Amino acid sequence: MTTESAASSRRSVPLGRKVTEDLLYIGYQALALEAGVRTLARSGELDPTLAGFRIDVRSTVIARAMRQLPGGRGDLCFPGPLSPGPSLAFGATPLEFLRHAARRGTSAAATRSGGLTWTEYGRGLFGWGGAGGVMTQVLAGAALAFRQRGEDRAALVFEKCSAVESGGWHEGINLAGTLVAPLIVVLVAGSMGCGTRATGVDKVARSYGIGLTEVGDEPHDDLFRKIRLARAGAVDGGGPMLIHLKARSGEDRWAGHNDFAAWAVREGGFSRGDRSAIARAAVAGVDHAVDRIGKEPGPDPDDALAPVFTECDSERPWTRREPPHPHMAAGAAVEVANAR
Amino acid sequence: MPAELPEHVARTRNGQPATVLEAISEALWEEMERDDRVFLMGEDIGAYGGAFKVTRGFLEHFGPSRVVDTPIAEGGFTGAAAGAAHMGLRPVVEMQFMDFISPAYDVLTNYIATSLYRGSGPLPLVVRGPVGGGNRGGPFHSQNVEMAFFHTPGLKIVYPSNPRDAKGLLKSAMRDDNPVIFEEHKGLYRAPFCREVLPPDDYVIPLGRARTALEGENITIVTYGLMVHRSLEAAAELARDGIRAEVIDLRTLLPLDEDAIAASVTKTGKLLIVHEDTRTGGIAGEIAIRMNERAFEWLDGPILRVTAIDSPVPFSGELEDYFLPSTQDVVTAARYLVEY
Repeated sequence: MTTESAASSRRSVPLGRKVTEDLLYIGYQALALEAGVRTLARSGELDPTLAGFRIDVRSTVIARAMRQLPGGRGDLCFPGPLSPGPSLAFGATPLEFLRHAARRGTSAAATRSGGLTWTEYGRGLFGWGGAGGVMTQVLAGAALAFRQRGEDRAALVFEKCSAVESGGWHEGINLAGTLVAPLIVVLVAGSMGCGTRATGVDKVARSYGIGLTEVGDEPHDDLFRKIRLARAGAVDGGGPMLIHLKARSGEDRWAGHNDFAAWAVREGGFSRGDRSAIARAAVAGVDHAVDRIGKEPGPDPDDALAPVFTECDSERPWTRREPPHPHMAAGAAVEVANAR
Repeated sequence: MPAELPEHVARTRNGQPATVLEAISEALWEEMERDDRVFLMGEDIGAYGGAFKVTRGFLEHFGPSRVVDTPIAEGGFTGAAAGAAHMGLRPVVEMQFMDFISPAYDVLTNYIATSLYRGSGPLPLVVRGPVGGGNRGGPFHSQNVEMAFFHTPGLKIVYPSNPRDAKGLLKSAMRDDNPVIFEEHKGLYRAPFCREVLPPDDYVIPLGRARTALEGENITIVTYGLMVHRSLEAAAELARDGIRAEVIDLRTLLPLDEDAIAASVTKTGKLLIVHEDTRTGGIAGEIAIRMNERAFEWLDGPILRVTAIDSPVPFSGELEDYFLPSTQDVVTAARYLVEY
């Protein structure tokens, strides 16, 4: 097992302009989107429980450190409890996220399965699909497919720390370890339902013989490099990696992003003007989404009974449409059955 | 490719009769030869060749990436199979005994069955394994599991009764883009009365279509799996009294071939449903209400059923014989119904 400490020193290797620009843009997006969601929740446009909505900006850095390619050829990501941070890093737009959060818009999945995640393989996005730990199993299988085909791809899954208390999660991580699947599992500390607070994540990693990287308050460029390293290890035959995303020590949740933005000007080759332009573009996209979401159409009732089989029409039961046999057409019993 | 195929997958090529087990092995082998996306997962299916030796010789021929021995974690490897299927592979999961599909109930019903509907795309995946009593296996190695899944939209359930159907239906299941649960009765695996020379061509039997195992006009007996043979034995005895029973072998339980049942019932006016599964919540209840909806006016008597009793499968041989439906039970019920 390898363990990296949370406090690592900044390395001299530059991130590159494109990565730095992306991290800045996504960070500003996340910051604006968090505020936008809270506003919408307070106004009743979104579920009121989202009034305290938070985005952990570190999730955007972790996700951006994965390999992203168009056409479903890059890494996969299940954003889990940290959605939409990782989704933004995988190319999702704020409006797409709001459509799912509001159960509106043109996406069939938005209104049928709901939730704050959705599936779009073309961009490497996996949507939520069941009990805690199940997505670790599913992503382990996807990672196994990558390994079997010899592809330079990995699967990234964000799970609540409470996952380590679920048998399903252990089955998934054990399987990934046994099959040496390139799977990266981020355990988010302090998530709901975390009875034991995941104090023994290092023991879990040790017991499965898999690598562990701990993430705390380190600068974003360090975090980016750390995840890149973990990914490379997973893809190069090291098998699954655990990332323990610990709670921040400071009060300011956006300190990491603000520090990174300052670093980008100080050492990353960006001017203040560059940085402001990136921030303005990111915020404008969120503002558009927040303004637009109330005008998005609601779900189409015909879409509600989507086919459950690939080759089937979504036929309603006869009692809701018409009687099964002509001789029953005028029958009172049928009218009663149809009255809903 | 080795010079000689393993004996149990070469029956048809050698022009020899195949058992149900050999037919299943042939289907798996031929599909793996035909489509390199197909791979197998399960407990002890590789080096050991499977608890019933269905996959004996597969590991040597196809290698460990396509014949994957898994930990004892049915939920975990079924979930992983789903992830691999999302990524374009076509997994076939073996449950060592279908009784142990229960740990995978969550992922099968919450995740896999809902995938297409949720917008996560089709999930081509087969979960197959041995079911059924009569082998003195007791409560944990003898169950029929179909009705635990019958109520879940998005799953298909197949239950063959003979070698020809087993091979053709399994090939169809493996080529289907939907998740399929494939039940194989242990009592048929090596049954001497159930061997036949199979067609040498690459045939498939479409899912969702029943077959008429025996034509008759006095009573319809709807059944599947091992009970097809019990029902045919009963029909032979009834024939000695001049009663001509029509036996419908469902082959696929979900989707249910309602048209085939209705066509027979409108001919005979009497319906007897026979299944090895327990009585309450058995498929007989669903068939009865559908015929009540579709063919009530053609019925000349009550719809009856012959089933196992509502009990866990007993371990004692005497008790198990009492528990399971017998040929004589079918004869008695059919006579009563014909004379009604």
